[in-house]
Amino acid sequence: MQNLLKILLRYSNFLVFIVLEVAAFLLIGFNNPYPRSSVLSTANQVVAWQHEQVSEINGYFSLRHQNELLAEENAALRNQLSAIDSVQTGEALYYAAAKVVQMTTDEQHNYLTINRGSKDGIQRGQGVRNGDGVVGIVRTVGRNYSVVMPIINTHTNLSCRFAKNDYIGTLIWDGKNSRFAMLTDVAAHMVVNQGDTIITSGLSPVFPEGIPVGTVENSVLKEGDSYHTIRVRLHTDFKRLKYVEVIQNKHQNELEELNHGLD
Amino acid sequence: MDWTKQIGRYAIVMLLQVLLFNQLQLFGVCHPYIYVMCLLMMPITLPHSVDMVIGAVVGLIMDVFCNSLGIHMSACILLMFLRPYILGVIINDKERLTEQINQQTIGLVPLLKYAAILVAVHHLMVFALGAWSWYHIGFILIETLVSSVLTLVVLLGYNALRYR
Repeated sequence: MQNLLKILLRYSNFLVFIVLEVAAFLLIGFNNPYPRSSVLSTANQVVAWQHEQVSEINGYFSLRHQNELLAEENAALRNQLSAIDSVQTGEALYYAAAKVVQMTTDEQHNYLTINRGSKDGIQRGQGVRNGDGVVGIVRTVGRNYSVVMPIINTHTNLSCRFAKNDYIGTLIWDGKNSRFAMLTDVAAHMVVNQGDTIITSGLSPVFPEGIPVGTVENSVLKEGDSYHTIRVRLHTDFKRLKYVEVIQNKHQNELEELNHGLD
Repeated sequence: MDWTKQIGRYAIVMLLQVLLFNQLQLFGVCHPYIYVMCLLMMPITLPHSVDMVIGAVVGLIMDVFCNSLGIHMSACILLMFLRPYILGVIINDKERLTEQINQQTIGLVPLLKYAAILVAVHHLMVFALGAWSWYHIGFILIETLVSSVLTLVVLLGYNALRYR
C-alpha cells in the first residue's frame, strides 16, 4: 500500500496530465457531433458578441467591393427604368456604371477620369450622372478610360430649367467653390425663391430631361439688372464622388447629325 | 511573480489572438496561435500540476472562441506538461528558472530552441486534432510549419522589443 502511494506521488504530475487530457478528449468527443453545449461554444453571448464585432469590422474591408456591386445594380435598375420610360418618351437611354479613378476639384478647369472607355461603348459628348445628380460630359475617350469634364469646370455651359415652371437658364461655374454654380439667363420678371429645384432641361441630347442639378441657394437682383444672379447649391458633392453612370443615348448620333445639318 | 501583471498580459494576448490573429486568412495554411507565448514565458515557480491546470483553462477559453471544444485545451495541457522537461534539457542552470522566461533570463538561442519545440508540438496537436484524420497529414505539416514560424516571429519580436 505504501509502495503504491509512493508510486502515485512519484508520478502524480503525469497522472494529472493524463486526467486533464482525458477530460479534454471527452470534450472533443462531446463536441463532435452535435448537440454541443451552448455555453461553451459560439452560441455563448460574449463570444457571439465578439464574432459580431469582428464581422462588423471585416465588413468595412469589403465595402469597396459592395460599392461596386451597388453601382452596377444602380445602373442596371436605371436601364430597366429607362426601358419603361422609352415607351412613353421615345428616348432610348442606356446607363453604364463607372468608377472615378482620378479627379481634381480645386482648379478652374477640373477634370475627372473614369474607368470606362471605348470598349464599353463610351463616346465623346455623352452625359455623366450619379445618384445625386448631374456630374458632367465625356470629353476624351480612351480604350479603357475616359476623361469627363464636370460641371465644376469654367468651360461648362449646361442648359437647365426650374422644376416648378419649366423656365430655362444656363448653368455656369465661377471656379470658386465646388459645391456651388451660377444659373444665368434668368430674366428679372421671374420670381426666384430660395430652395427652388433646378433640373436638366433635356434640350440637348447629352442629358435627358429631369436629372437633378441643384437647389437655389440665393438670388440677387440689383436695381436695373435684367437678369438674376442665382447661386445654385449642386446636388453632386464632387469631393466625395466615387461612382458615376454614363448616359448613352442611342439616338445621340442621329440628333447631333440633325443639329449639324442646321448649321 | 506579479500576478495581476501576469493576468493582464494573458488578457491582452488572448484579445490580440481572438481579434486579430484568428482573422488571418493567408492561403488557408497560416493560423498562428500567439497566445501560447503567455504559457511559454510563465516562470516555473508553481507546482507542475497547477501549471497544467492553468494550461487547461487557457486552452478551454481559446476553444470557446474558436468553437473547437477540447482541441486547444489538450494541446495546451501537453505543452505545459512538456515545458519543464524541454527547459531542463535546453538550459542546465536551474537557478534561473524562478524568473520569467524571456530573452534576458535564458538567452536568445535557448529561448528560440525551447519555444520552437513547444510551439511546433502545440500547433501540430491543434491542427491534427482539428483535422481528426491522418489523411491530410501533408497539409497539417505545412500548416504547422508556417503557423509555428509566424508564432515564433511574434514571440521573438516581442522579446526583442521588451527584453533587449
